Amino acid sequence: MEQEELRNLNVDKSVDARATACPGPLLAAKKAVRELESGQLMEVMSADPATKRDIPKWAQKKGHEYLGTVEEDGYFRIYMKVK
Amino acid sequence: MTIALFSGSIDKLTGASIILGGAAADDMDVEIFVLMQGARAFLKDVAGDPAKLNMAENPEMKEEFLASLDRLKVTPWMDFFKEAKKLANVRIYVCGLAGKIWGGNELSDFVDMVDDIVGIGECITSMQESDVHLFI
Repeated sequence: MEQEELRNLNVDKSVDARATACPGPLLAAKKAVRELESGQLMEVMSADPATKRDIPKWAQKKGHEYLGTVEEDGYFRIYMKVK
Repeated sequence: MTIALFSGSIDKLTGASIILGGAAADDMDVEIFVLMQGARAFLKDVAGDPAKLNMAENPEMKEEFLASLDRLKVTPWMDFFKEAKKLANVRIYVCGLAGKIWGGNELSDFVDMVDDIVGIGECITSMQESDVHLFI
């Protein structure tokens, strides 16, 4: 998805993991995804650059759809659709 | 995954906790066998107190290491272990002999996240059945 499309998404859950380092954001994503139903959207905010690769890879493995990443000032928003 | 956790040093425990966090996020079943030096780190009066744990490598840089963990907002190793146990099938076993070496004779001498005290036979069986083995 394009950056603008991602920014305009109405997510069902926003996870702020900016206060944690690897693998904190990954664990926060795993915990949060349990609260969502199939087809719902989630964003994970992380200040850890490694998360940009970790979470998409994890999402793919678990069958969630990785939608894209938006770079903000000092952190990232990573979007996915829950399987 | 089976982890033979020999080390009780703060740097290696931190590394182990990060690997464990990743494994838990991936829904892996993990069995941790806490051996020798590791057993001391899981004693109630030691665990959670970085001052009581040494560094395996570059011991002269312990303060710098701890300061960096703090600056980078790295979750303390104990908290990652606890979190991993909540999120996945993670079992922690202390070697009976190792526990006794450090005065840990009963399960109640260790932090609550320890599931049981076992012998080396359980560790070997776990390794035989597991696809991934780590010695830390």
